[in-house]
Amino acid sequence: MGAVSSVDPRPVVVAGPAGDGLVEGRRCTACAEPSAFTWPACPTCGGPVEPARFGPGGTVWSATVVRIPVADRTPPYALAYVDLDDGPRVLAHSAAPLPIGARVRLLAAAELKVERT
Amino acid sequence: MTVAIEGVGTSGFGRQPDVDLVDLAFAAVDEAFRDAGGPRTVDAVWVGTVFGPAGVAQRVLRAMGLTGMPVLTVENACASGTTAFAEACEAVRTGRYGRVLALGIERMGDGAIVPEPTDPEGRTGLALPALYAMAAARWLHEGRTTLEQLAAVAVKNKANALANPRAPFGGRFTVAEVLASRPIADPLTLLQCCPTSDGAAAAIVGRGGSGGGGVRVRSVALRSGAPWNHRSREVWGHDLVRDTGAAAFAAAGLGPEDVDVAEVHDAFTIGELVTTAALGLKAPHIVNPSGGLLSRGHPLGATGLAQLAEIVWQLRGRAGGRQVGRARIGLVETMGGGVSVLDGNACVVAVLEAP
Repeated sequence: MGAVSSVDPRPVVVAGPAGDGLVEGRRCTACAEPSAFTWPACPTCGGPVEPARFGPGGTVWSATVVRIPVADRTPPYALAYVDLDDGPRVLAHSAAPLPIGARVRLLAAAELKVERT
Repeated sequence: MTVAIEGVGTSGFGRQPDVDLVDLAFAAVDEAFRDAGGPRTVDAVWVGTVFGPAGVAQRVLRAMGLTGMPVLTVENACASGTTAFAEACEAVRTGRYGRVLALGIERMGDGAIVPEPTDPEGRTGLALPALYAMAAARWLHEGRTTLEQLAAVAVKNKANALANPRAPFGGRFTVAEVLASRPIADPLTLLQCCPTSDGAAAAIVGRGGSGGGGVRVRSVALRSGAPWNHRSREVWGHDLVRDTGAAAFAAAGLGPEDVDVAEVHDAFTIGELVTTAALGLKAPHIVNPSGGLLSRGHPLGATGLAQLAEIVWQLRGRAGGRQVGRARIGLVETMGGGVSVLDGNACVVAVLEAP
């Protein structure tokens, strides 16, 4: 409801060496917790963080297909919470609905997106 | 110091875009003052609202002659109204004020809430039904519920609402009809999602002890969520509700087995199932006798105080055709969310005792 910001709050995805996607996040240097975000401190303990990359592999923790229009998105679209290997839980899109427990890989796309492997 | 709810009131609920918020707020506060008796004055006002425009609290209060005293506006997502109530109770308990008004007000737009674009998951398209759908999908996967058990929550609550003139979205539905309603976010269907609603609700909180119908506040707890992440074994919101409930029960010197009647946050059917499990409540037939958010609709800031009003009426034995019997201990739980990585923006649990 406030003033418009040009900042995009979503995780940053970069291309990995194999053409997959990697999340450019942070890892806490105090408690080692991973975070998908470039926030200034660790969400878990408040400790200092250093750059870290996560992915591309992960496991679907839960998933849904949204059937209603949301903001500027056209339904239906599939979303999943994915636990990246040794990394954070992230919210990602997928072209097709994903079963819980499925192995997925992160794609090199502007927005977090996964597909089954 | 003993804290008591002296009076409660609500506006009507449902979509009412042609009714001024001033009038919705007055309906709630006027009823609460008449219910409480005594002077129509308070020492301070806490107002809960989420989408209310700047200055909305003072704007509605001055229209009913409540001016001059401290007015504080709080926002805690869906738990904004119960947050206002929690602060009002603390102000009385600590002796800061003698008599306080807690007011929740909200005007919603049409359709589902547009997720907050400054939030990562909101920007990614995680509407609130989708967040709850993630919990429902996980519980289905773990075998902790079935599609039919999810739908049965809507069947129960919407049937309860048939005896509640303040719940416009009640009705008789079958499990099959609920499951066949329009899909919103798999596995949740339209009848498993609370409708949008405008409205207001209010409570007068005082020191009690003056006799009458004062419902005693045994305890009220408010917590905000810890990180919900790859280490979380439970679905979103579960641990925050569990911990807030545990704090409220400990402060009250009571346990979930003592609760006779509860109003909990059934914004979506899965919400009621997760919440009752997290609180440890064992008898689902006493949960949401009003019909819940599924039947009242969900005017965010007003919801918590509308839940509170229902429990006050139940504890006084004045809930009419939906009275659950001789209820001595009542519970209110409201859960607010929408900030990604957290297990919830805020949860409030209040434990109340009959006069």
